Amino acid sequence: MADILIEPVTRTYGNAAVRVILHEDGRPEEARFQAFGYRGLDQVVRGAHIDNLLPIVARICGPDSLFHQIGAATAVERALAIEVPEEAAHLRELAMWAQLFERHAVSLTVHSLPDLLFPSSGQNLRSIISIHKVDEEVVQRVMTLKSLGTTILREAGGRPVHPVNFVIGGALKDIAAEGRAKLIEKLEEAKPLLIETAHLMKQLLRRNDEAVKSLGTQQSSYLALKGDSSLPLFGSAVNVGGSEGEDLGSIEIADMPRRIMVNNSSYSQIRNVEISDIPRFRVGPLARLNINAKYGSRMADEELDEIKSQWGFPIHQSMLNHMARMLEMMHAWERMNELLSRPPGEIMRRPVTCREERGVSIIEAPEGLLIYNLEVDEEGLIRELNYISPLQFNLKALEASLAETAATCVGPGEPEDRAVNLLEMAVRAYAPCPMCGVH
Amino acid sequence: MAFLSLEEYLYTFMDENNLAYVPFLLSERELPEVDLALVEGTVRNGDHFKRAREVRGKAERLLALGTCACFGGVQGLADMYSEEGLMRRHFGKGVTFEGSPQAVRRLLPLDSYVGVDAYLPGCPPPVDLLQSFLELALSGALPNRDGATVCAECKVGCLPLPQPGPRRIIEQESARGKCLLDQGFICMGPVTRDGCGADCPSEYGIPCTGCRGPSAAVLSDPSLDPRLETIRRLARATHKRPSEINEFIKDQAQSFFVHCLAEPLLRRRRPGGTSLYIKRLGEK
Repeated sequence: MADILIEPVTRTYGNAAVRVILHEDGRPEEARFQAFGYRGLDQVVRGAHIDNLLPIVARICGPDSLFHQIGAATAVERALAIEVPEEAAHLRELAMWAQLFERHAVSLTVHSLPDLLFPSSGQNLRSIISIHKVDEEVVQRVMTLKSLGTTILREAGGRPVHPVNFVIGGALKDIAAEGRAKLIEKLEEAKPLLIETAHLMKQLLRRNDEAVKSLGTQQSSYLALKGDSSLPLFGSAVNVGGSEGEDLGSIEIADMPRRIMVNNSSYSQIRNVEISDIPRFRVGPLARLNINAKYGSRMADEELDEIKSQWGFPIHQSMLNHMARMLEMMHAWERMNELLSRPPGEIMRRPVTCREERGVSIIEAPEGLLIYNLEVDEEGLIRELNYISPLQFNLKALEASLAETAATCVGPGEPEDRAVNLLEMAVRAYAPCPMCGVH
Repeated sequence: MAFLSLEEYLYTFMDENNLAYVPFLLSERELPEVDLALVEGTVRNGDHFKRAREVRGKAERLLALGTCACFGGVQGLADMYSEEGLMRRHFGKGVTFEGSPQAVRRLLPLDSYVGVDAYLPGCPPPVDLLQSFLELALSGALPNRDGATVCAECKVGCLPLPQPGPRRIIEQESARGKCLLDQGFICMGPVTRDGCGADCPSEYGIPCTGCRGPSAAVLSDPSLDPRLETIRRLARATHKRPSEINEFIKDQAQSFFVHCLAEPLLRRRRPGGTSLYIKRLGEK
């Protein structure tokens, strides 16, 4: 019997395929997430001066471009012991929340909203365009939220895709007081839309209870950065949480490269990552929630109580990543408001003196941990650069979700259309970026 | 994502046109016959090539969108290495993949594989240009900009020469409102296509990296090479010998050709065919 091949996986980032390999009797045997097209972006920076690093790594990915820049910049700054001025660090954090807000808005709405709104429709009706035809307001509302992230990112980063305002050592230009006031105004205007969209997502996930309970429910450990009072994007150690919510300790940033094993796959150019002594784990919005147990911002934490009482805690169902994304958008909203309420900075960057050194950085990108590990020589030329993207951490869990989904909808007599819909939904729950994963 | 940034115009566009195939937005997997196709990215393997041929066959007009499709983009930097060397360094020796499409021997812009009717470079393409580009294309006229350079849009002033340099922007903050090349920074403005508004040098005080791709003059004038031209200008600004400037800039591919190393028109002009001045690191 022919395998099921979904190529390309649609309404997601980049270009990937799902293949379900079938037994002779038609039952699913294995589910694979595949992507090809290695571009060598970790190799082409070798020999480049660190001055040219950020414009290159930004091009690894559009929707995550800023995170690659900040990840690479932080690794160099750690290597060269550069203390980024506080105001520049705040501006970077603002831009990161803005890009996370924008990416989550797209993942939730453009990619996944059609599945949740029209669960029984065929593929061709599941799109933001179909929703626009029946309910213009919903689309305009979610696109306004996406635009809010874009606008703040444009102001903080100089432009919304492949930002130009950040350099190794800090940033070039802060947002003036007037600009800050205007952005706060925009945030306030968007608040009711954010709350309405959160309620819509909650309602839709409840209505799609069956999908939540079948498209990836396996328990796992979780890896994320942990903050003292609020959800962080930077950190010096990765926390590990067990499947029952138990604290399994933390891994220091300097130990990370030693603990990581990167494995080739025989059927895809995305290399999966294991960490010694840690059983199957996941990273991303749900992992951050399970590790931190709270967001540290009023709006998100109020909603979280209701989510916990409905779905329990820790939360394992991968479809509830969507809920975690929504809560993170609320947290990002509050954090952006706080950061914009600060006065503009005066000292934005520190000069860089090159020397031979190695540096590692770990940041939280929208879909989980992003690790940069690089070595520079005494002239500032990059000797070696490696990075690990969130999808590489999540790959095994994503394939387990696909296998679990396939077990419920693939088999003799099962309609293939339905299986394709459900398998794609299981992928969208992870909002993966195959191009970041392949490099 | 660039498409979603069109905001208000996106609704107008969706109302007036039938978006037939956009995997990022729609679940349609089969490409139908279309009036207009926008193609992003580069051809890296046999699958991409087949896809490009299919789009060309089914589209009345095909537009290359973004610097990768137009000139190879940052991905074109892979041209420094052999395909085999690149794969070996990342995946290990002799690694193969089940069902993997055949890799292309060399990375080239889209028009090296299929006919392209119009180009909108930019990494990312400026949103205002994308909108006017779509409006023009839909009205039946294909946009054709006579290319000026980023310097034509740049709002900075000149400095008395000589100035110190060459230098790097992370080591030394630039004087705002003054020409970056005059200050001894490696700025690609004079050899880069206009249309971005020149915000990097004018507003942020950082050199242009050339993300809109080579200017029309660079593409049409065989004697105008982005590297030689930039070195010449830096030599003028610093009163140093071009050979000295050349010696200082070790990462020439990433400094002068970060968005256009794969462009065949420029490749042809390099002495020694592929390159004598691009360090080939991957062949160890």
